[in-house]
Amino acid sequence: MMRLVALLLCVFAFACLAMAMARHQDTVFGGPLSVTRTRGLRVAGWGALLGALWLLVADQGWALGLVYYSGCTSVAAGIVYGALVGWERRLAAR
Amino acid sequence: MKPTRNAKPQGRGVRQSMSDLHTWAGLLAGWLLYAMFLTGTVSYFKDEISQWMRPEIAHQRVTPDPAAVAQRVTDTLGTVAAGSSEWFMQLPTTRSNVVDSFWRTPDWQPGKRAFQDATFDPSTGAKVVARDTLGGEFFYRFHFQFYYVSPIWGRWLAGLCAMFMLVAIIRGVITHKKIFVDFFTFRWGKGQRSWLDAHNALSVFGLPFHLMITYTGLVTLMMMYMPWGAHVALTTPAQQQALDRQVSAFLPPGERAGVKAPLAPVDAMVREAQARWGRDNVASVLVTNPGDTQARVVVSRGVSARVSTSPEYLLFDGASGKLLDVKDRVGAAAQTRGVLYALHMGRFGDLPLRWLYFIVSLAGTAMVGTGLVMWTVKRRQKLPDPERPHFGFRVVERLNIASIAGLSIAMTSFLWGNRLLPASLAGRADTEIRIYFVVWLATLLYALARPARRAWIELLWLAAALLALLPVLNALTTQRPFWRSVADGDWVFAGFDLMMWALAALHAALAVRSARHRPRANAADRRRAVALRHQEDA
Repeated sequence: MMRLVALLLCVFAFACLAMAMARHQDTVFGGPLSVTRTRGLRVAGWGALLGALWLLVADQGWALGLVYYSGCTSVAAGIVYGALVGWERRLAAR
Repeated sequence: MKPTRNAKPQGRGVRQSMSDLHTWAGLLAGWLLYAMFLTGTVSYFKDEISQWMRPEIAHQRVTPDPAAVAQRVTDTLGTVAAGSSEWFMQLPTTRSNVVDSFWRTPDWQPGKRAFQDATFDPSTGAKVVARDTLGGEFFYRFHFQFYYVSPIWGRWLAGLCAMFMLVAIIRGVITHKKIFVDFFTFRWGKGQRSWLDAHNALSVFGLPFHLMITYTGLVTLMMMYMPWGAHVALTTPAQQQALDRQVSAFLPPGERAGVKAPLAPVDAMVREAQARWGRDNVASVLVTNPGDTQARVVVSRGVSARVSTSPEYLLFDGASGKLLDVKDRVGAAAQTRGVLYALHMGRFGDLPLRWLYFIVSLAGTAMVGTGLVMWTVKRRQKLPDPERPHFGFRVVERLNIASIAGLSIAMTSFLWGNRLLPASLAGRADTEIRIYFVVWLATLLYALARPARRAWIELLWLAAALLALLPVLNALTTQRPFWRSVADGDWVFAGFDLMMWALAALHAALAVRSARHRPRANAADRRRAVALRHQEDA
């Protein structure tokens, strides 16, 4: 259960980090966000990544927790990437 | 690249030749690496594949008590392997429903096999009554030592490829300057650019895994690749043995006393181990010199939730049953190796972790695959006449098709062979493997005979069809069709069928995309390719 929460937290984190990038702000919001918002997203993203690490290590111990963390971050980044590609495709189709 | 007719023959210096060598050797390593990656990826479900390939053995609802199983199999080995100086058995787990065992050949002479092996039924202790197959073990072994070459050569070849991979990863990270800027970037429908984006994404997201798996892959065989340190430092057999104790619980048999003594109950020894490590956390039992007063029994700890393969075991006097030694720690260097080894195998993981391993490893396979395809995409744009590519290009293109689409077909054919070959066939396990290679070769011949684009599409569709129909074949040839597996709660068989359908969908999607794709090679595109190349060089 905690592992699923950690995975979702990683997805959230990468989504925030992607939204903090100008290219993806264009795609999703149609223009750049304010500097404060962008910084907020970046902080939230890194914070969530740390939170997921803490959660996994607390739940599984250092050895297994780190292995899980590596897997969760990789899969989460892939999920966010796939979602962004899908979003861009939908925009392009319109 | 091979010089074409209109290329100037002179002026090819050493550097150019080295670059050629790099490109061609890189390609060769790439084809092997793709096969190593894919067979390695499925090996994370090695035990499940083995279960599926022996459908005669019923689904195991509860893991049998390892202590009782150890005793039963020991009794069997007493007759099957009488006179042998060493017995080994791998006890069943939640994932494996058989006992894999091997023993030293009694009265061994040079030229004979040093070890013999058999698979036993945990509930009876007798040899399993099932079709003869290597099961998931085949993919696992192929993954690091190939086949039809001696294991030693195969492992050296695998090590060479892994070294290439390690260099490629590090080089890739350095070359990919905009790793953070481009982190989530994918530019659709831009030919080479799109391939590069996909390749980068697959590489970067799984980077921790790719680095780990390549480096630890080398570590698993480091004693073979670099034995010289140990040879120089350890000069006496005692020192060599001390090293072995640090990395393996596989103790060689000691001196026999020559006095007969019955083996003490093995189940009691396993129970003592269970009291320390938990009921289902006993991995294996090793018996040396059974029937002698000098008999020893080693009961090894399981790997569950333990990120290390370093030996942890209890050593018993086989005649009296007395506990002689508790091995629960190794030196720091040996422990480092144990942890790296365990990270590569991922055997410590439970089901969710195994899936993470599988998914990220599949992404690694796709990374190598996109790298191979990129080789042709990149060069097609620079061809003088894209309609009639030169010989070298054509060969690479066809080998790509056979090593990517062909491998899926070959691996699935291996599973088809498992269901279609009669159980009574002599040398059945070898025939299954022969099917794998013959089919793989056939896909290469097919790819050579057809236009490249058609070959991609047709072979991908064939792979999708074979994968999608495998559960149907399973339903027709065994008593365990999908609906019954679901009703019985047998998630090994049900999950296998679902996985085949998922993989079939993946291949079908790739086939559809290849069919839609039209390689454009007009002047504007070629100009863009040149511009892109300048960009990359800058």
